[in-house]
Amino acid sequence: MVYKINYFIFASNSDSGPVRNGSGKGSGNQLNDKEMENNFSVENSLRLITETIERSRSTIVKNAGKPLIVWGFLVSLTSVIIYFLWKYAGGPVWNFLWFAMTAVGMLCMYFMERNREKAPQSEIGRILGKIWMWFGIFATGVFALVWVAFFIKTAVTPGATVRLDLTLVISLMMGLCGAISGSVINRKVISICSVVATACSTLWLLISAEGSPERILCFALLGFLALVIPGIILQKEGGR
Amino acid sequence: MGEGEKLFKPLDPLLHSELRLAVMSILLEASEADFVYLKSETGATSGNLSVQIDKLQQAGYIEVSKGFKGKMPQTVCRITDQGRSAFAAYVEALRSYIGK
Repeated sequence: MVYKINYFIFASNSDSGPVRNGSGKGSGNQLNDKEMENNFSVENSLRLITETIERSRSTIVKNAGKPLIVWGFLVSLTSVIIYFLWKYAGGPVWNFLWFAMTAVGMLCMYFMERNREKAPQSEIGRILGKIWMWFGIFATGVFALVWVAFFIKTAVTPGATVRLDLTLVISLMMGLCGAISGSVINRKVISICSVVATACSTLWLLISAEGSPERILCFALLGFLALVIPGIILQKEGGR
Repeated sequence: MGEGEKLFKPLDPLLHSELRLAVMSILLEASEADFVYLKSETGATSGNLSVQIDKLQQAGYIEVSKGFKGKMPQTVCRITDQGRSAFAAYVEALRSYIGK
């Protein structure tokens, strides 16, 4: 059966067109426009669209794994370092190491971006970037606000304290961003990991004493469960 | 008018070309893509790709901006809202064929 539409003729069998595997990447099999139009079937059009979009998405997934692993390890490691320093060498002031961690993370991202497989940023990649950028802004903002409030209060009233459970606020935000990211890239496992990580860290906060250095370890749990594990899963998926 | 023309939606002739469709599919996923990337992904020659990009730009389906990346000239393509609508209509028309 042959369909005639406008000035195009399409054969109904699926192998009639010249669509090259993977939309012709590197094939060097050039066709002029007239040849393409005369032989390009409906099935081949759909196949070309599907293959191009799938390839683009797999690049996104592959590129999304490494940053998760890097940030996950950084968060977990910083959390453990702060815990020991807080417990044995001073106090909560070591929490300022989070800023150093952010700087190290940004540096890692800069070098990773330079060595990354040459590909344009996708719409989904851009959305993911924005989600985590806003998480960073909110987390840093809340953290800075608490410390500013603490310094002002202690300047006015020596010995005053600021009562805001920063660890709970930031861990909830982190879990939420992870769950949203999983939904955006259509990977349930990431959303599930984020939910489990948030539940575990909240449980940890409930059982650990208020104001104790042990509470900071909830970020080690979060970093590992919500970032490192999903990152490894994505990396394996992209490497297939 | 033939029977086929009554039953099936007409396909946008501008999109029903292998290279132009590949370019539009890439731009649909990517927020923007430069000429070098489009060339490597499609396997097209610079001349052919240039001509097809020009056609898509003239139809208002994509925007093309020329600039520099470091000292190298760079041509960046972006899909427009009109391009997205045309692509959606094209896929819808394709479905009318497959569904029959």
